[in-house]
Amino acid sequence: MKRIISQVTKELAQFRRDRLTLALAFLLPFATLLIFGFAIRLEAKDIPLVVQDFDRSYYSQTYIQRLFVTNQFTPIAWNDRQPIAQALDEGLAKAIVIIPHEFSRDIKGGKVGEIQVLVDGTDANNARVIKNSIKAFTNSFAQTQGLLPENPPIAARSRLWFNPGRQESLYIVPGVYAVVLWIFPSLLSAIAMVREKEKGTILQVYASSLSATELILGKSFAYLLIALMMGFCVMGAGALIFHLRFAGDPTPYLLTTPVYLWTAVMFGLLLGARSSNQNSAVQGVSIIGFLTSFLLSGFIYPLSNIPFPLSLLPNIVAARYYIDVTRDAFVRGTGWSSVWIDLLMIILLGAFYLHVTRKAMSRMQLNT
Amino acid sequence: MAFFTRFLNSPLWALVRKEVQQILRNKQLIVLLIFPPTIQLLVYGFALNPDVHYLKMGVVDYAQTIESREIVAAMTENQIFQVEQVLTSESQLARQVETGKVTAGMVIPPEFSRDLTQQKTAEIQVLLDGVDANTAGIANGYINQILQQYVLRRSNTTLPIETHVTFLYNQGLISSWFFVPGVMGLVLTLIGTISSAVIVVKEKDTGTLEQLLMTPAEAWEILLAKVVPMFVLLTGDVLLALSIGRGIFGLPFQGSFPLFMLLSGLYLFVGIGVGIMLATLCESQQQVVLTTFFINLPMVQLSGAIAPIETMPDFFRYLSLLNPLRHYITIIRGILLKGVGLEALWMHALALATIAIVVMAISTDRFRKQLS
Repeated sequence: MKRIISQVTKELAQFRRDRLTLALAFLLPFATLLIFGFAIRLEAKDIPLVVQDFDRSYYSQTYIQRLFVTNQFTPIAWNDRQPIAQALDEGLAKAIVIIPHEFSRDIKGGKVGEIQVLVDGTDANNARVIKNSIKAFTNSFAQTQGLLPENPPIAARSRLWFNPGRQESLYIVPGVYAVVLWIFPSLLSAIAMVREKEKGTILQVYASSLSATELILGKSFAYLLIALMMGFCVMGAGALIFHLRFAGDPTPYLLTTPVYLWTAVMFGLLLGARSSNQNSAVQGVSIIGFLTSFLLSGFIYPLSNIPFPLSLLPNIVAARYYIDVTRDAFVRGTGWSSVWIDLLMIILLGAFYLHVTRKAMSRMQLNT
Repeated sequence: MAFFTRFLNSPLWALVRKEVQQILRNKQLIVLLIFPPTIQLLVYGFALNPDVHYLKMGVVDYAQTIESREIVAAMTENQIFQVEQVLTSESQLARQVETGKVTAGMVIPPEFSRDLTQQKTAEIQVLLDGVDANTAGIANGYINQILQQYVLRRSNTTLPIETHVTFLYNQGLISSWFFVPGVMGLVLTLIGTISSAVIVVKEKDTGTLEQLLMTPAEAWEILLAKVVPMFVLLTGDVLLALSIGRGIFGLPFQGSFPLFMLLSGLYLFVGIGVGIMLATLCESQQQVVLTTFFINLPMVQLSGAIAPIETMPDFFRYLSLLNPLRHYITIIRGILLKGVGLEALWMHALALATIAIVVMAISTDRFRKQLS
């Protein structure tokens, strides 16, 4: 035990001396939080739209006016002499609404009025949203003009749970915690492990009475302390800037976070122990860590959208379980009953990393 | 001819040969240039899928009539919802939404069919899991649409105003067509900056840079000899990314191939330039990798590769105009999907060229200063 503690103090002293890494270790997570938290917005708003009105009647003018009242679309002026499809070609607009000559005549004559819409389909998801919202808007327009009954025969009364204001930061920011607190702790511990190997100081460790397990535990606890500080800063900033508050019982979250951070540190040590040089270790951690915690964790899009066989991978991604815990703590607030399994999975993954690292270390000791 | 022999005897040619030999012997670099881009393209391409489909729905049907069953069937018709469980009580359903077992819940009240036949508004209660606000909003829109279509079908009428929607460039609305070009740009950025930074800093690390200075070669020759082979290798990565995009994700190629290669080449210079600039700032390989992380993260996030630019707050939207990756992704999406040429893309090409020149100028200047 005493040997582990002295190992921890040695690691921390070494870490403190490397100014650039120290600065990056605290600056990078903070910058990532800000960029992800502010710049990732999935809901389509302010979609640039060109309208061509051939009808110029009361109906068409009201239609256009109302269309831009909601903040979903922003009007883009277009010179009528140029072909209108060019607005989409040049990417100036995402959609074009064309109201034909006979629009109001048809409506007044009891025939079906037609609206033509051209949508830029490159961003398929957005295109679908644009289509749905223009259709929904047209119907509500018909309702206000008395063309459709004010009270529809069937109406859905929708209630949004947990997030009635549909604030997207409530979805993104707890996810950012999982990404940031996976990548940076593992990156730092991987660097520490490889540095020891590259500088040859690991041989001195082998020569000492320190066992492989003690070495790994010492390193991992040192970096766990650093990671905890990092986590404290990131989450403090998240609470201040994005107003995240605990929605229910905070204990699952407070207990899972150190376990998750330790698992991240172990993941870094594992890759550090297995790779021959610093460059490949850091590359490995940043690529694998980023791909798994960012893409295979359900951070942006639902995991159920990932096709088989890639869909099997998220089962062994710790970030995926941790995201469940953070979203539960800050948004859902259901507590232990739904997240105990996540904590269990993270513990299992951490134990597995520890086991593999220990194996790799003892093999290295024999070989040198 | 005389010029040619002079070139072969010049220090530049000797340096180029040295770099090429070093690169060929460096197995790790070759591996770095092939595997990470391939894996990244595949994982990003398959995992970035925003489609809203097969959302799990729980249903409580108190009415148990033909109409209520028709409504439940209509919900699953378009593969948007998948009725996971038919429950017997509202509180059970509430529990399922609470724990995230289902994304949407629908409660059809007992008086549903009576209201419908008596021409009163028949109400359906819908519960949505709002944690993922975006999906919840889209799901809500779909539910209203499905109900409306059901009503129209039942009363055998049409809408007073029809909206005809045509999708340009991507009629089938395949999401990967949007994401894969973005990921191609992302992969080229990561690999371009890291590999060129590592190559330059390695010479500093091992101290061989001083030895190079003893030779009659000028600073610009040392740098050019490094850039040229790197550029050729990275062009190989452009082709690799393009063939994965075409072969595995079935991307179309509507535009001009020479224009694509020309502008991709321009973008590679930006990547290499950023890499060299970082290398002049750092002392060791470890620092280089960390600082490239620092640069690449915002560059990728603010490029529209993953989340669309239009939805970002104004500040980030304007900031992204300075981002070369943003322009490059707009360009390749334009060439591949829309089939447009310089007449539509000239602004982005110009921005890219300006950034390339500025970055290259700064990095060569810093490199030269460091040498002397």
